[in-house]
Amino acid sequence: MRNPVDHLMERWARDMARRVSRRRFLGGLGALLFGAATVPLLPVARGETPRPAAGGAADPGDPQTCGYWRHCAIDGFLCSCCGGSVQSCPPGTEASAVTWVGTCHNPGDGHDYIVSYNDCCGKTECGRCLCNRNEDDKPLYMPFKSNDYNWCVGSKVGIAYHCSTARIVGVAK
Amino acid sequence: MKRALAGALLALGLARAALAQLPLEPGGVAQLPAQPGVHWVWVNDFSFFALPDGKAFLVDGDSGRMLGLLSTGYSFDALVVPHSGGVIYSPETYFSRGTRGTRTDVVTIYDTVHLAPLGEVKIPPKRASIMAMMAGQVLTDDERFLLIYNYTPAQSVTVVDTRARKFVGEIDTAGCALVYPTGPRSFFSLCGDGSLLVVTLNDQGRAASRTRTKELFDGLRDPLTEKGVRAGDTWLFASFEGTMHPLKITRGGGIEAQATWPLFSAPELAQHWRTGGLQHLALHAATGRLYAIVHRGGAETHKDPGADVWVWDLASHRKVQQISARNKVASIQVTQDARPLLFGCSFESNRLDVYDVASGHYLRSVEGLGITPGLLVTP
Repeated sequence: MRNPVDHLMERWARDMARRVSRRRFLGGLGALLFGAATVPLLPVARGETPRPAAGGAADPGDPQTCGYWRHCAIDGFLCSCCGGSVQSCPPGTEASAVTWVGTCHNPGDGHDYIVSYNDCCGKTECGRCLCNRNEDDKPLYMPFKSNDYNWCVGSKVGIAYHCSTARIVGVAK
Repeated sequence: MKRALAGALLALGLARAALAQLPLEPGGVAQLPAQPGVHWVWVNDFSFFALPDGKAFLVDGDSGRMLGLLSTGYSFDALVVPHSGGVIYSPETYFSRGTRGTRTDVVTIYDTVHLAPLGEVKIPPKRASIMAMMAGQVLTDDERFLLIYNYTPAQSVTVVDTRARKFVGEIDTAGCALVYPTGPRSFFSLCGDGSLLVVTLNDQGRAASRTRTKELFDGLRDPLTEKGVRAGDTWLFASFEGTMHPLKITRGGGIEAQATWPLFSAPELAQHWRTGGLQHLALHAATGRLYAIVHRGGAETHKDPGADVWVWDLASHRKVQQISARNKVASIQVTQDARPLLFGCSFESNRLDVYDVASGHYLRSVEGLGITPGLLVTP
């Protein structure tokens, strides 16, 4: 059975192809992409309900589970279970300025990614979806490879720890 | 006959009336004896689901009774209990609005008889907020200075004079973490490049010298856990893969790496035995025995709780005992008397288990000790 969204998109594309020249379409798309790139910088965008970034064949798994591939070195409560998402903090919290990073293997595309586990700060513990995995975790004397620090340290709102995100910040070479 | 029956009933009634009447009782507040029991233990709860509400439970391992509690603030690690007795030091963090507002860090000084605050020393609001570690806060050997690890993320050590009950100052430990005392006026920190930072103090508690050793361990290939224990003049650190690294304290507080030795035999390594947990080593000083939580697991299981405690003789490096834990444990502690108890707990439950060391037998459990009990400290 055809997905109704696919059906809608197909109708929109066919309609667009009839009405709009290729150059005008690309110009519009460029404006749209530029807008998309700038929107997250606006304060209002931060207040939007975070959309799940994960899922699908290229990013398989459920970010609300400990076994999700990006959680390979996480230690804390999953922000996906706390009103945030895998890359966004829940409302009213502040993302930590400093953090620890892990290198996790994505089974969806076979690449290893550098994952930044920014803590979200300023409220008491979320208390949901506690997850501790220690792939390549190092002791406290290697701070930026250690998940035993409270990374809310250095945040404007102080060290009250709420939950942890798992944001892709690079591809491991 | 009737008379006898009436008499018996009267006597019974009087007896019941007498039984029903308990004496009136004055109210009061319990006190503890001046000397702690040899089988007492402080169960420090870092309270991971409610970090503002750290606490420490005092438990008698013989009776299984809880004797009292200290309320110890945000992101609590552990109490520091001097051998000289009388007081307990507790590095604590508070916010003026619970989880926000002005942060205040203090060392609260509690009296051991009333478990009430005697005073406090205000310290810089920099105390490291970490998974609980014994090396987060320690006393120098003569108990004069309390040393507290800071992470802001700049690394340093706060020095508190326990005699004057005053903050002395901070010692920069850039690149190096935690505090391991080595004498009355010295300590070291573990550094990310595999070296140690050795610091000596003057009598005012300020740094007299700071020296970096050469690289003593490979922190990338097989890191030492930071959960070492001290046997006299030697600090003992287990590596992730089960190699024991003895670091001997030399005259003047220096450090000399001794020959490493394996905790596990080749067949045990093939079966993936390794140490794991939060406070995975304990020591009985008089017998020279080392206790370690062990489990079978692969790489990166260095924090996993274990269902077994193995015991090594430190003189011969031979394994001399295996204790099967009733429940998995992440932290262990051993009392230092001639008939020692082994305590075990895990942040995965709020129960303390008590074992007889000589027989290895399970004795009892104490339930309901906070939320995520971490470090065990014997007074």
